[in-house]
Amino acid sequence: MNKPVISRRHFLQLTGVSGTFLAIGCVPDLSGKQRPVNLGEDKLFPMNQFILIDSSNKVVLFNHRPEMGQGTFQAIPMILAEELEVDIDKIIIRQSEADARLYGRQMVVGSHSIQNEFEKMRVMGASAKEMLVAAASKRWKIPVSACTARSGHITNTNTGDVLTYGDLVEAARSMPVPDRPRLKEPADFTIIGQPVARQDIPLKTNGTAKYGIDIRIEGLLYASIERSPVFLGKIKQVDDEAARKIKGVKNVLRTKRKVYGRTREGVAVVADSYWAAVKGRKALQVSWDEGAYDMHTSETIMDDFKKSSKEDGDVLYSRGAPERYFDTGLNEISAEYEAPYQSHVPMEPMNATVRVDDHSAEFWGSTQNPNGIRTFLSRKYNLPESNVKINYTFMGGGFGRRSMTDVAEEAADLSQRMKAPVKVIWTREDDLTQGPFRNCSLNVCRAVLNTDDRKVLALEHKVVAQEIRNQTGTSKKAGHQLMGGITTQYNIPNFEVRGVLQKLYIPISYWRSVYHSTNPFAHESFIDELALELNKDPLDFRLELIRDHPRFPLLLKQVAKYTDWYSPRKPDTGKGVAMVERSGAHFAMVVEVSKQEGKIKPTKITTVIDLGICVNPDTVKAQTEGSIIMGLTACYQGLKVNNGRIQQQNFDTYPLLRYNQTPEIETHIIDSTNPPDGAGESGLPTVAPAFANAIFDLTGKRLRKLPFDLDSMG
Amino acid sequence: MAKLKLKVNGKVYEPDVEGDMPLLWVLRDYLGLTGTKFGCGIAICGACTVLIDGKAVRSCIIPVVNTTGQEITTIEGLDLDNNHPLQKAWVAEQVPQCGYCQSGQLMAAAALLNRNPAPSENEVEAEMNGIMCRCGTYPRIKKAIKSTLKSLTNE
Repeated sequence: MNKPVISRRHFLQLTGVSGTFLAIGCVPDLSGKQRPVNLGEDKLFPMNQFILIDSSNKVVLFNHRPEMGQGTFQAIPMILAEELEVDIDKIIIRQSEADARLYGRQMVVGSHSIQNEFEKMRVMGASAKEMLVAAASKRWKIPVSACTARSGHITNTNTGDVLTYGDLVEAARSMPVPDRPRLKEPADFTIIGQPVARQDIPLKTNGTAKYGIDIRIEGLLYASIERSPVFLGKIKQVDDEAARKIKGVKNVLRTKRKVYGRTREGVAVVADSYWAAVKGRKALQVSWDEGAYDMHTSETIMDDFKKSSKEDGDVLYSRGAPERYFDTGLNEISAEYEAPYQSHVPMEPMNATVRVDDHSAEFWGSTQNPNGIRTFLSRKYNLPESNVKINYTFMGGGFGRRSMTDVAEEAADLSQRMKAPVKVIWTREDDLTQGPFRNCSLNVCRAVLNTDDRKVLALEHKVVAQEIRNQTGTSKKAGHQLMGGITTQYNIPNFEVRGVLQKLYIPISYWRSVYHSTNPFAHESFIDELALELNKDPLDFRLELIRDHPRFPLLLKQVAKYTDWYSPRKPDTGKGVAMVERSGAHFAMVVEVSKQEGKIKPTKITTVIDLGICVNPDTVKAQTEGSIIMGLTACYQGLKVNNGRIQQQNFDTYPLLRYNQTPEIETHIIDSTNPPDGAGESGLPTVAPAFANAIFDLTGKRLRKLPFDLDSMG
Repeated sequence: MAKLKLKVNGKVYEPDVEGDMPLLWVLRDYLGLTGTKFGCGIAICGACTVLIDGKAVRSCIIPVVNTTGQEITTIEGLDLDNNHPLQKAWVAEQVPQCGYCQSGQLMAAAALLNRNPAPSENEVEAEMNGIMCRCGTYPRIKKAIKSTLKSLTNE
């Protein structure tokens, strides 16, 4: 049996809190079963890697999911505190270390953290509480049923006597670990479901929050890396004479960076300050063999996609017999929708700090994937995982980009060769031009209608795009990843989703909501186009098509109510609706637009979300606001490819939505006792289609290409 | 060559750097004031905003030699205890998500209030449009500024 072992001394170091902390609890192994833990040294201490309590009743709770803005830093401890019965404003929150053996998978992607950890965290909190109660019952010689735990205290209900958790912790840690602790009923929650203020926020308003780029350690060197302007360009020649003369430059080294199976070359300038590295890089003369990679433009790529769209592709989903309806002379309509490549552009540019020597390695930085970096360093440098330490910091945004380990790999390579810790910092230009990117796509939707009965007989949605999981190699078969965000639950008897896989050398990766950021634009726009053909209200049409679904109808009705959907439109205004499920969360959105001085802009965006139990409603609202604004930026901006390279270099040509462009945003969360769904991407998938549908409502013009050309709408 | 003399948050520093280094990197890598952030390097995103003699300046492009003899204020100098009215409002409205751009947002807002404690909505927009946020915290920034202005006029 593998019992996780952690030394007590080491554990105390992690807390950063002085004083004697006694740990109680238990540890789930990877099967989820609770096991006591050997604390090492000469005594056995049962403990819990999430909960520390000291004799003065201080409570430290650990968050083990990296924080990139999504709020797990507060939400994970909220779940623990709920079942442990401690006051949420009195706890101290610390980030755990990265250790898959102790904490399981810590990667933060796909809005999975809360939905995956909810039950586990409840069990961790409840187990600890039951052990404290057992200790109190023993001390008072009364049954556990006569002990009530609340606010970090246990009350003897017979006498009214009170003991703190701190009084009991020493005894509690030797109590048996409960096999199946009793969990609270959702109706009794006092923390979960409350808009609890986040403890990370004050650190982010006075400059003390530490991000990867802020790491400063003894002997640190800095690197900036020159890369080919086309993606797979090879180094022809390097003249580094001038670069080496720059004060502070220590070395110029060729580097390699692997991205989804393809190796990209670079030339790194390593210096004793970042600025010297940048100056050295500017002084480099590198000529590149661009091969045939400089041929493509956004237009040629889309032309190729359009040619491919004539192929049948692979069936990803099918019901009924769509082939009996299409191309048979029935009333058929079709439409094509385009979306461009997008960049993640988290505000903190990509960076990583790594020290590698013969016996150990250490990483400091902003990552969505701490376990992945640990595994990489361990394998690549042949080190036991126990000799690889991962210090993950707050991230200045992630959006999927920081789930990759590429920058840590660059820093590790340079560190090993320089025999010093190295911090690699990408410029914003590196970030925008090198990618990987959100995929571009062509979606072709068609439907067969019975206009007499005003019904949709068949619908086919064909996705023509690169697939993240299948970027290299010869396989041409489209996978299910391609169909993300297509609502197959619409009650259309003959329904098919097809994928036509595209292979290109332009690297793509996970971007907030992934294919949900492209496919629903087509699907939910097309549903509106069908409503128009059948002369139905777009919201009523959806209600009719989704009436048997357990969640969507209520959301549509509520969003109609909140936005006064059925009232006549005021002059120069329009409304559009869309609905999508992402990571379990279901949401319906109405975008309201107006035309002022010839310009169309969104004025208000209302979303109704059902995401099961909502741990922190204020965080969910913040996430929805952020998703909407990221989605809106993607309605205004898209990456352009020319000569095989990304045209935009920085925020001057790829601006994010600005303060004054932000519409009013209103978010409503449905009360629910279902298990939690993912909250981090809700709202993004519906923005583009609801916006396009609203513009159609206002102007009668249908936008089928992202980013929107709003200037042509005047 | 005489050493550069910088006055940051009321303290005098003499970093051993060349004059062409942008103030941003001197603050971060030499003075350890990492609250000021690198975002774009071309004075477009505003993450690096600091106050120089009370005015908002993008520290990523200004050579450090041009800032000697002036009062530089970074986020660490706004109020480490979060007692500045803007910081209080930022916490009350739960503005930050990732938090990376928030030093810039706060310093820009502080510069605006230095200039005009009762700015119009257009003036607020003109100032705050200069600072980008990828997390999309603008609706909360708007609320926080509104509540700050309200608290200042009530005082």
